[in-house]
Amino acid sequence: MATTYLDLTNEVLRELNEVVLTSVNFGDATGIQAFIKDSINKSIFDIANEEPQLPFFSAGASGDTDPFYGNVTVASVAGTRWYTLKAGSSSITTDFSSVDWDDFYLTTINVSGETTPFVSKGLRFLTLADWKRYYRDSENADDAEGSDASHGEPTYVIKSPDHRKFGLSPIPDKVYNVHFYAFTKPTSLAAHGDTIVLPEQYSNVITARTRYYVHQFKENIQQAAFALDEYKKNMRTMKSNLINPTPKYMTDDRTYF
Amino acid sequence: MAAGQPFSVALVGGLNKSTNSSALLKTPGVATKLRNFEVSDEGTYRRINGFTLFGDTLPNTTEDIEGLLVYADGVIAVAGNDVFFSQDGESTWLQLNKASVASSGDNYSAFTGRSELALTSVDQCEFAIFEGASDFGEVVITDKSGNNKPFLFKMTGTNADVTTRTFFASQITISGDTTAKFCTIHDKHLVVAGDPSTPNTIYYSSTNDIDSFSGSGAGSITLEDKVVGLKSFRNELFIFCQNSIFKLQNINNASTIAVVPVTKNVGCLDGKTIQEIAGDLIFLAPDGFRTVAGTSRIGDVELGTISQAIQPIVNDIATNADTLQFSSVVLRNKSQYRMFYSTVAESQFTAKGVIGTLRSNGFEWSETLGIAAPAITSGFTSSGVEKVYHGDRDGKIYNHNTGNSFNGTNIEAEYQSPDYDYGDLGTLKTLDYVKIAFTPEGDCQPSLRVRFDYDSLDSPQPADIVLSEIPKPALFGTAVFGSQKLGATEQPLVRQILTGSGHSNFFKVFSNDANAPYSINGLYVNYRPSGRQ
Repeated sequence: MATTYLDLTNEVLRELNEVVLTSVNFGDATGIQAFIKDSINKSIFDIANEEPQLPFFSAGASGDTDPFYGNVTVASVAGTRWYTLKAGSSSITTDFSSVDWDDFYLTTINVSGETTPFVSKGLRFLTLADWKRYYRDSENADDAEGSDASHGEPTYVIKSPDHRKFGLSPIPDKVYNVHFYAFTKPTSLAAHGDTIVLPEQYSNVITARTRYYVHQFKENIQQAAFALDEYKKNMRTMKSNLINPTPKYMTDDRTYF
Repeated sequence: MAAGQPFSVALVGGLNKSTNSSALLKTPGVATKLRNFEVSDEGTYRRINGFTLFGDTLPNTTEDIEGLLVYADGVIAVAGNDVFFSQDGESTWLQLNKASVASSGDNYSAFTGRSELALTSVDQCEFAIFEGASDFGEVVITDKSGNNKPFLFKMTGTNADVTTRTFFASQITISGDTTAKFCTIHDKHLVVAGDPSTPNTIYYSSTNDIDSFSGSGAGSITLEDKVVGLKSFRNELFIFCQNSIFKLQNINNASTIAVVPVTKNVGCLDGKTIQEIAGDLIFLAPDGFRTVAGTSRIGDVELGTISQAIQPIVNDIATNADTLQFSSVVLRNKSQYRMFYSTVAESQFTAKGVIGTLRSNGFEWSETLGIAAPAITSGFTSSGVEKVYHGDRDGKIYNHNTGNSFNGTNIEAEYQSPDYDYGDLGTLKTLDYVKIAFTPEGDCQPSLRVRFDYDSLDSPQPADIVLSEIPKPALFGTAVFGSQKLGATEQPLVRQILTGSGHSNFFKVFSNDANAPYSINGLYVNYRPSGRQ
C-alpha cells in the first residue's frame, strides 16, 4: 500500500511525541504539524535534487514504443535543429527534472513512409562547446542555403543552454523518431490522501530528512545531526539498491597489435 | 534527545477567577475552573457528592419548596402555601399550618383534624428556633412575600412515633395586620422585620415570650435603611440593610438599648446569604462575600471582601441579584459555606452555586452547577448527626451532599489548572507524561484534557484522554469483600503519556458520570525543553 501524506506526517509526529492529525483536520494543521507537513515536501525535493534519476521519478514506463526503451519520443522535422524536451511544457518549472543525455536514440522505424533499410542508431552527446567549435558555423551556413540537401542524418545530440531543448547535429534532413529517457520533477503533496512516489520501504529516507528539519526547528542540534546521518545512510542504501543493482563488468577496448 | 525535566505542583488554593494569566504562572496550585469540586479538608480538590431523594413522597405535589428546617429528628418543609413535617419522607407528610389549635396543644388526631390555616402566596421562608424548655424548641416561620404573619409551631414528645406527640400551632400578631419577612431569636426575644408597609422597622417580642409583641420587653425600632436580614451574633443583633449594617445592643435594658451603625457603605444583597461560620457572620454584599467581624473593624485592613478570588462570579451575581433566589447553608463538618442562586424559572441543570471552604489562610472557593436549591438547611439530630437537606422547585426534597449523582443525573465536574510555563514561557516544551495524584473514594474514571499556549487555535491540541480506571483500594479494617481491589493504592499516581508541545499548557481533569468522588492532590509533569522559537 502506498504511503500517504497523512501516514508520513503522523509517523514523524508520533516520533516527536506530537499531536497526530486525522483526515478531517489535516488541512487545518497548525504549528509543528504544519511545519512537519512542509518539511516532508522539502525532504522529497531534497531526495529528488540529490538524485533526480531515481527510477520512481521516471517520466513514464520504458519500452512503450517497443523495442525502444526510452520513455519519451520526439519526432524530428526536416530542417529543424532544436526540439523542446517535454512537449507542451511552457517553462523550466514544468520541464523534466533530468534527462539521460547518454541515451538518445535515432530511428526511422515506425516513421510513416519509411521502409527498410531503416536508420537506427544511438546519438552521441556532444557538448555545446564542441558543437560550437566544430559544427555550428558550417551547419548554419549549409542550413542558410535552404534546401534539404544541405541537411543530414543526425549523429550528435546537444543540450540547449537553457536546458529546455535538445538539438540535433547535423540538422535533420527528414523525419526521425528520437527516443530518450527523462525524469519528472516531484509534485508537492497537498491532500492527506496524496501518495508518495517512493516505494514504502524507502519512506524512512523522507522521515529521517524531515526529522532533521524538525529538530533544527526545535534547536535540538544533536538530534538533527543524528537524523541527518540516518538520512545519508538511508539515501545511500536506496541509491545503491535502485540505481546500481546490476552486475558490473570491466571491459578493455584496447587493440593489440 | 533533550533531557527530560520534572515539574510538580500541589493543588491547593481553590478557584481563582480574578488573577490575570501571567500572574497565575506564579500560582500553579490554584484552579481556573473548579466546578462541582470542593476544596477538601486536606486542601485538595474533591469532586462533590451528589444528592438523593429524601423519601419517595412529596410534601405537596410539585409545589415549590420554599423553606426547610431540620427539626425534631425530621424535616419541616414549606411547600407551596403549606407547612409540613416528616421524619423520613416515606409516607404522607403531616401538615402543620392548622388553625384553632388548642393553646395547651393538640394530640395527633385532633391536630390532623383541624382546619387549614391559610397562608398567602408564600415565598422563600426564614426559620427561627426558640429553644426554651420544650423538647425540640419553638419554630417561627416567616416568608419573603410579606403577606403572612409569623407562624409559630411546636412539637413535644420524644417518642419516635409522631402520632404520640403533642402539637402547637398559631400565628403571631405583631401589631394589627403587620407581617414579617425576616425573623431571628436574639437574647430571649423574637425579632422580626420586613413588613411591606414598614420595611425599615424591626419589632422585638416580650422577654422570653416570643409570641407576644405587647408585653414587657417588647418594642420596635425604626432604622434609616430597609432591612433585608437579621442575625443574632454573640451578644448583639446584626441588622442587615440594603446599604448599611447596624447592630442592636442591650435588648434587655430599656434604658440602654441602642442601634449602632456598623457600616453605612456596605449592605447585604439578600438575607438568605447570611450564615455564621467559624466565629464570623458571612454574607453577600454587592462587592463580594464579607464577614461581619471584618467589616465591624473600621480601618482594619481585613475590611475587604473574602471572595476576591472569585470576584467575576460575584460581579455576575450582583448584577442579576434582583432576578435571583438565594439560599445558603453551613456544612459544619466540612467547614464549608455553600450558597446557591438561580432564577425562579431556571432549570436544575443550569442552577449555580458557590462553595467556600474555610482553610487556615482563609476561604478557598469552588462552583457548583446542577443544584437548584431555593431552600436548604442543615442541623443536628438528637443523636448529634449533622443532616443537610435541600429542596427544589419541583416539590422535591433531597439529602444534600450524599451519593454519587444528582439524584440519578451525572455530575458534570471539571478542574482546570492555570497555564504552566515550567519556569520559562519562551521555551518550547514537549510533554512526555503526567502523573496525577488521586484519592479515589470508589471506582472512578475521569478524563484528562491538555491544551497548549492558552488553548491557542494556532497550536495543535491533543484529543481528550479517558484515564485508566482508578479502583477503590481495599484498606485494612474498612474493606468489603468484592467491592474493593486488593493491592490498589490508597493515593494512586495515575501515569498518562502525553503528546504535543507548546510554550505553556494547562491540564483539565473532568468527569461526567455517577462514579464515586475523587480528590486531585497534585500533578507531576515530565517535559523536554525544545528550543526557544
